[in-house]
Amino acid sequence: MNLILRAQVATAAHDIVPSWPVESFIAVNPLAGHEPRPFETAATPGVILTRSRDSFLADADRGRIVDADLEAALVERVPELGGQLTIGGKSVSAMSVAILDLKTTQWNSPAAAEPPAPWLDEYLATWVSSYLNPDPLWAMPHKRHGFYRAWRTLARWDPALPRTARRTVVELPVEPDAALAWALVKLGVPAEAVTQTLRTELQHLPGWVSHIKWRAEKIGDIDLLSYLSVRLTLQAILGLTGLPSPRGPVRADETPSALWHRAEHVARSIGGSRADRDDIAAVSRVLVTHPVPDHALTWQKAYELHYLATLVDTLRDTDPFTPRPQLQLVMCIDPRSEGMRRHVEVLPGLETFGFAGFFGVPVRFSRYKARGAINSLPALLTARHHLTEHPTHPAKAEDHIMRGRTRDALRRSTHRADSGTVTPFAFAEVSGWLYGAISVLRTLTPTVQARIHRFLTPATAALPSNVTVADAFTLEERAAMAETAVRMMGITQFAPLVVLAGHASESTNNLYQSALDCGACGGNPGAANARASAAIFNDPAVRPLLAARGIDIPPDSFFIAAEHNTVTDAVTLLDQHLIPQSHVDAADTFDRAQHTAAKMLVRERAQDLPGASPHSPARVQGRAHDWAEVYPELGLAGNAAMIIGPRQMTRGVNLDRRVFLHSYQTELDLDGAALETIMTAPLIVAQWINHQYYFSALNPATLGAGTKTIHNAVGTIGVLAGHAGDLRRGLPWQSVGLGDQLFHEPMRLTVIIQAPLGNIGRIVSRNQMLRNLLDNDWITLTARTDPAAPWHRYTPYGWTTAPTALKGT
Amino acid sequence: MNNLTQMTRLEVVVPARDAPAIRELITSAGATGYTSVSGVSGIGHHGQHSGALLFNEYDTLTMLITVLPPDNAGELIDAVQQLLSTSSGVMFVSDTYVSRPDYFQ
Repeated sequence: MNLILRAQVATAAHDIVPSWPVESFIAVNPLAGHEPRPFETAATPGVILTRSRDSFLADADRGRIVDADLEAALVERVPELGGQLTIGGKSVSAMSVAILDLKTTQWNSPAAAEPPAPWLDEYLATWVSSYLNPDPLWAMPHKRHGFYRAWRTLARWDPALPRTARRTVVELPVEPDAALAWALVKLGVPAEAVTQTLRTELQHLPGWVSHIKWRAEKIGDIDLLSYLSVRLTLQAILGLTGLPSPRGPVRADETPSALWHRAEHVARSIGGSRADRDDIAAVSRVLVTHPVPDHALTWQKAYELHYLATLVDTLRDTDPFTPRPQLQLVMCIDPRSEGMRRHVEVLPGLETFGFAGFFGVPVRFSRYKARGAINSLPALLTARHHLTEHPTHPAKAEDHIMRGRTRDALRRSTHRADSGTVTPFAFAEVSGWLYGAISVLRTLTPTVQARIHRFLTPATAALPSNVTVADAFTLEERAAMAETAVRMMGITQFAPLVVLAGHASESTNNLYQSALDCGACGGNPGAANARASAAIFNDPAVRPLLAARGIDIPPDSFFIAAEHNTVTDAVTLLDQHLIPQSHVDAADTFDRAQHTAAKMLVRERAQDLPGASPHSPARVQGRAHDWAEVYPELGLAGNAAMIIGPRQMTRGVNLDRRVFLHSYQTELDLDGAALETIMTAPLIVAQWINHQYYFSALNPATLGAGTKTIHNAVGTIGVLAGHAGDLRRGLPWQSVGLGDQLFHEPMRLTVIIQAPLGNIGRIVSRNQMLRNLLDNDWITLTARTDPAAPWHRYTPYGWTTAPTALKGT
Repeated sequence: MNNLTQMTRLEVVVPARDAPAIRELITSAGATGYTSVSGVSGIGHHGQHSGALLFNEYDTLTMLITVLPPDNAGELIDAVQQLLSTSSGVMFVSDTYVSRPDYFQ
């Protein structure tokens, strides 16, 4: 093996962000490879970082961005800007000159367009797709030998290649390392240019390339070396030297005459005809500190600061003291939980908390005797504990499973019949009338069809069962997980009934279903983790250990798992067979409260959901079963901020389901250990999600998946737009926009923390990923020590007092 | 030395997200094994690193240790050096002695 060449491939691929398959969609920052560098340097070929100038000017016209925001943005970005000028006899501040310049100077927004794919890209995409498709009609031969060797064996018969090329393929080296080395020599690439050449080649087909990188690390059936071997040997064989390299935006320095022209325009706008050359020169000395290429990010900063100022203005210490609550609800930090928490808190004596949706219990979960398993944990972790469930009535469960397997067998046989070469014709003749009727029913009355389907195929989840936490974790591990959860959330007193609610989405015919499930559970429903966590807290062996660590859970406190359906907004209690008789009334009370809250929340969501009406909540909920619906829900669209602090900061405030809410109390975490865990895990997951939405909104063609309406699935790996081409990355357009308008406001995550600034600073100092994100302006951090303290902004040079806009002046 | 055999020991400390590439080089070099220590802490060129994080293995540092015959180590050292030329991480190379050389060949 050629180790140097392998190292060069790894170096070339260093900044490529692995892309998870769509079946377990993990939101990532597609430009994460650039995080060690300033945000403004992250523009890559076909990628833009902000909206257009026209969009920002429209925001200024409607008051979404005001002069105070622009001033605050300029203070942050151009700290040297200050002082007064006299222009045409008028005294003006340098700040107002810069703001006028921002509003009047033209700049062109680069287009986020997808470049046309060269023939080689289309050819390779077809081969990679055929090789990786997990459910092909015809399996690709020779797959077991790896991608390069399988291609080398088959390409000799590929009519897409010229005859001479096919003859040459036979003579290529057998091993991918040797083939790549041969191709580089044949293409005349000098040794010192190898890494850069490979990097350029990896910029083509970015969707497939990033998925191959993920696959090489997690599955191992393909790697970038074998992909590049095929790519470069083809170029060498076909003489395709000098493929166009996708070009990134080039930042051109402003010429002195352009600066003068700009200054003249601003000076004349202020002083009219009385502005002379000295005035123009004075203005140009101001404007040179804020060149035109910086304008877009200053507008973006102002756009974000306006939101921050509005948000901070709504935060108040609403309810510092509460007696022992009668009910507690712990929900995921997901912004969708905010709506449910706000509405359900109307019930007196109900307290809510926000916590990462995997409830601190990272597991690989499989249902009772199920064939597959899901990694129900953040993508930041590796699954080490396997959780399953035991039915309370094994005989009934066995019977249920036998019927389920019979149904699966029937389903598989019909799938084979309708996907064969000849059988679909006969199959359509025999069963077309039945499927036709089902299709009509499914289209016209999706909810009725779903009820019939549910009746005919009851899920295993409906069977009473217990999760096997004692098998998955030792007693010490269980106690440690419970302690961590309590300290991270800052729970100081426990209600008689504590509901731990994971969340899941429900939709039909939606390849991006996983993107709507719980991000903290690896793009899976969070019910298993909630059940495991409840079992741990109820474990009589765990409670004495917790008491020894200073956490006294009253004997009458019972924990119950639940699942929040984010399409219907129903919060269903799980494992109801475990509820003691003494807590049945409390459970009923919660059930009634969530039912009322769901009604309110669905009506609220219907105001934003395309095509929905607040007057018909049933139709909004019915979207879960509508196979023609491309907007089952809006997911995390609108996400913009994360608040880490006690619920007292936000209770009673409508945050519009835009904020990740993680509960936290400094008093329970004097050494800052829990805060460090929050800032290095839930915050990172929130940032990944935020940037996924940000870049999918701004770059739907290159970093987003484009419109769902033309998607074709490649097994469970991902989607193509149309029948061929690159694998799409990111979120579909329907997650961020409607028609040609965005409904997601692309803003970098605003993090707000209520904790001692010294603790926060120390945590940032010792964690490089936080330093990268904050010092390079990928996210921002605003904090206060306690409700009475002023807000401070984190900067690479220390804490500063809040900017002008934040003070609301 | 006490019937021990000289070998070459490589210790590589890199961000956990870069560890798969190093592991791949180690196995491609024919090393019969390696030790991986996740969540290592310390201070280096890029500042302080806090060590193991409770819910994040992805953003910590990993130390990979491998031992192989001196004749086989040269190419791996060059390859790791190449990889670290543009990304963060350190490599320490030293002579070491093992009692059962057949385990490492």
